[in-house]
Amino acid sequence: MTDDVFAAGFMDDYFAECDEHLAIVRRLLLELSAAGFGEPGLRPTVDQLFRSFHSIKGISGMVGLRDAEALAHHLESYLRLLRDRDARPTEIGINALVACVDALERVIAARRDAQPPPAVDDVVEQLEHASTLAPAGAELAAADAAAPDRQRRVTFVPSPTLLARGVNVDTVRARLREVGTIVDAAPKIVGGAIIFEFVFAGAIDEATIASWRDDGIVVAEAPPPAGAPLEPAADSATPVGPSHVVRVSLTRLDDLMRMIGELVISRARLDDALTHVETHVPPVEWRAVQENVQVIERQLRDLREGVMRVRLVPVGELLRRVPFVVRDLTRDSGKRVRLDLRGQDTEIDKFLIERMMDPVLHLVRNAVSHAFETADQRVAAGKPPEGTLTLAASSIGDAVVLEIADDGRGIDEAAVVARARTLALDVPDPPLDRALLLDLICRPGFSTREETDRASGRGVGMAVVKTTLEDLNGRMSVETAAGAGTRFVVELPLTLAIADALIAHVGDRMFAVPQANVREVIELDPAALRRIERHEVAPFRGGALPVLRLSDVFALTPRPGRVLHAFVIGAGADVVGIAVDRISGQREIVVRSLDDSLIKVPGVTGATDLGDGRAVLILDLAALVRRQAASLRGITEAAS
Amino acid sequence: MITARGAETFILFTVAGTSYAMRSRDVAHVEMLEQVTAVPNAAAFVDGVVFSRGQVIPALNLRARFGFERAPYDVGTRLIVVQTGGRSVGLVVDGAREFVAFDPALIRPPSAALAGLSGHYLEGIANVGDRLILVLDLAQVLLFDDPVLQEHL
Repeated sequence: MTDDVFAAGFMDDYFAECDEHLAIVRRLLLELSAAGFGEPGLRPTVDQLFRSFHSIKGISGMVGLRDAEALAHHLESYLRLLRDRDARPTEIGINALVACVDALERVIAARRDAQPPPAVDDVVEQLEHASTLAPAGAELAAADAAAPDRQRRVTFVPSPTLLARGVNVDTVRARLREVGTIVDAAPKIVGGAIIFEFVFAGAIDEATIASWRDDGIVVAEAPPPAGAPLEPAADSATPVGPSHVVRVSLTRLDDLMRMIGELVISRARLDDALTHVETHVPPVEWRAVQENVQVIERQLRDLREGVMRVRLVPVGELLRRVPFVVRDLTRDSGKRVRLDLRGQDTEIDKFLIERMMDPVLHLVRNAVSHAFETADQRVAAGKPPEGTLTLAASSIGDAVVLEIADDGRGIDEAAVVARARTLALDVPDPPLDRALLLDLICRPGFSTREETDRASGRGVGMAVVKTTLEDLNGRMSVETAAGAGTRFVVELPLTLAIADALIAHVGDRMFAVPQANVREVIELDPAALRRIERHEVAPFRGGALPVLRLSDVFALTPRPGRVLHAFVIGAGADVVGIAVDRISGQREIVVRSLDDSLIKVPGVTGATDLGDGRAVLILDLAALVRRQAASLRGITEAAS
Repeated sequence: MITARGAETFILFTVAGTSYAMRSRDVAHVEMLEQVTAVPNAAAFVDGVVFSRGQVIPALNLRARFGFERAPYDVGTRLIVVQTGGRSVGLVVDGAREFVAFDPALIRPPSAALAGLSGHYLEGIANVGDRLILVLDLAQVLLFDDPVLQEHL
């Protein structure tokens, strides 16, 4: 018990450290599985993997997470076997490694989320099975394994004189091979001349070394970087990553962000207070006050951006598991899928990365299991046998855009419509409006698949993707064409904590609308509004703009004025105006989420304090419009 | 506070003239109710949201929850902020002024005679000295999708 309490204090560090090691492990496993047979330089990969597992084993033991410790131990043993035989893992071996790493990750995650640990016996068995098979290439280095020799660094400097004597890099290589093994070889440019450097293991006597020297071959005792000693004690203290990087817990950054948020609110209060004293201060003094206030505002903005940047991590972290998922799903499927990862350096808030992991993996699984045809089918359809799954990230202003696109068979709209009708939904014949299509496939329990398969198609996935995105204040759209493929575009705010918002008034109520969601703000003449059935439209740029009154959506009493103000949102055919009494200006707001189910209402994403301690609701206008459209459809369904 | 062996502290509060109790270990703090921001389309018994110590929490009106008429807030109105199951929720009550300690073993299941709507939200009734104390079933109060609620919406 006391051990547990003792360990609890280290758990955050433990999880962070495991996360780092597992990230390295994932990358290395990929290298290992991608490397061709006989490729040089595989040894360092195996060594690094070994070290990571060894570290995980050590720290897992320290915090008393026995399952993780045991798994890491098995992984370590398998790698030791590979290393001792100087062999590369077989396909079975790599699959077992991947499965075991997955299990290790789940075991650690289960502890973090206080869940019961998952069963790991079968993956351990898989790994043990792989160990019993003789790894390919074992014979290559059999002699070496029997008598491990000291490693030395051999340098050869070619020259015209030597060449004339028939000594070139090939003959040097042959000489080395006669007496031992070349572990590593690399040409280098030193002072404009080329030299060859070998890491060599073998027995050579002093006389040979001396005779070689005349041929431009220098043998030195090498502390070789690649084949570094792997004795556990030596590497446990090795820090991971460069030393000028500081690891900070997300909680501390959250605290920092919260404090900046409070500063933003205090500044808003100061502004309010200042407007009350303005008339009492002589203009000259007042200008000085104003200038200082503006400087503070700018500095505060810089500070806020600085902290925000600290929270940003490359999207690549989100995508690092994708290759494994694809590899796992295509294994026995007859499908061939090439991954095209783009924009991995795009940065996004760490919190968002964590929340987006599952939705993105779900979209990837969906694409691989359902969208792609088998190689044969593709060839028959006149497509290249190998499908391409593109994951592209880019940043646009304050948003990050993720695209998940496949060149598979496209969403079967007829099947979606048929399925919708079996659920008694009133849908038109295909082709469907893309927003409606997305709406349908994201309905809980909508899956058009009869059977569930191991990876996806449980009918809950897309619904979860949708709600996660809504929680994160993001949005998604889909494009699909039969036979050509499907493209999901996910747009996320760069960060959630602080945003620029427009303040809207309806009656005596106030709302904040994040500026990022608004295309423009317009003034409407109430007299120019025309009613068409249940909709109101306003003349707008030579066309008609459908207008929704916030007072209607929220059942509020408006305070009618000479003009109405409206937010214009959406694009193309989906442009909508949301009318309010008045839009009073722009403010920097600190976003507090509404977490409790009692107050989770569509269209309301959070609340903010504008300086008077009162909660002002933050609206997601696009969600409001969707909800309104859905409820209008509901009326149609009821009426028909 | 000195408590008898086995006794637990409860906080007493009033809703529509009746005294109720809940365990003070579930209560984070009690505050005066200042400004509640209504949330459109939220459940009928939710008055809205309030800022409480930097967090936005729902303000659940116990009068409305129990099926009584809402009353305007006055100087006695309090927000009891409870923390349970990872949630923070404020309960709007007519008044909260008193603590009482008694042995939870005294709590008896509510009798069928107490079949009013609030009976559904009771853990039981305790007979302490000469007073009857209705002990709130907090989990039931905070449950969003319970059938009784659906009927009365």
